[in-house]
Amino acid sequence: MKIVSTFFMCLFLVSFTNGQERFLTKKGMISFFSETPIENIEAQNNQVLSVVDATSGKMAIAILMKSFMFKKALMQEHFNENYVESDKYPKATFKGDIIDFETITTSERSIAIKGNLTIHGKTKEITIKALTKKTDAVLEMTGDFFINLTDFDVKIPSIVKNNISEKIKVSFRLYHKPYNK
Amino acid sequence: MKKITIYILIIGLLSIFIGYTMYHKPHINVAEKPVDIAITANILFADFSSDETKANTKYLNKIIAVKGKVANVEFNGEKAAISLQTEDDFGSVVCYLVQDEFKKSAEIKEGQEVILKGICTGFLMDVILVKCVVMNSK
Repeated sequence: MKIVSTFFMCLFLVSFTNGQERFLTKKGMISFFSETPIENIEAQNNQVLSVVDATSGKMAIAILMKSFMFKKALMQEHFNENYVESDKYPKATFKGDIIDFETITTSERSIAIKGNLTIHGKTKEITIKALTKKTDAVLEMTGDFFINLTDFDVKIPSIVKNNISEKIKVSFRLYHKPYNK
Repeated sequence: MKKITIYILIIGLLSIFIGYTMYHKPHINVAEKPVDIAITANILFADFSSDETKANTKYLNKIIAVKGKVANVEFNGEKAAISLQTEDDFGSVVCYLVQDEFKKSAEIKEGQEVILKGICTGFLMDVILVKCVVMNSK
């Protein structure tokens, strides 16, 4: 009898810790912004999938390129067909480690995430800073960083070279919830 | 001589006009577009989870009418996201509705059978459809 109850106790504990182990969001936001004197280009993606493993501090993000919404339909078309070739490379991913994950508390502070960013089939190692805070109900991460189009082999035709910035600002807002499934 | 100037002027104005309308080309209006593929949420999800690459070529950028039972409705401001149940425990088909559908989406309840029409953008944990409109609900 004792063995049985110990067994159930263990099972309960395991399921409990499992529930605390992972944070997930399917509705994160990532946007990018290109600024030139001629025009500004902006697009937003509200279907970002992001998972954080609280025990290892590992983080994985996946986004669909076609889910980026532009103000102008023509820009969206060019982005998908010519620049990121979203039929060939439908996803962008980031896999990385949150440095000093255990130091994240309920008060907001800046932490670093080091990992590999893959866009347009090309991978580059980057370190991102994020404002982070964690409670039992939510793990918030927000921030922005810059990427170079050349790092990801995104070719801009010379005719629109002045309309699109070489450096693109990427912003993110990820509110992860504890994941129990 | 005068004639030529007028011709050039007309051609010039015409090209400016064409360039302008192309630059300001409107976004796809899903409600007005014909359905490319009509399918159930279950089959759509199964296709993606069994062979994603093949499913991508079949469904990406297509106007899809998907039928399924509502698992949940979530609101982000005035934009609703409706998840449709599948036989898989983890995955579903998530449809992000356009803001114009706010009224209709507010009336949709869990467990209800609906047909939603939208553009498929791919597969993460769920199959994702954007710019969705409600086709019918009973």
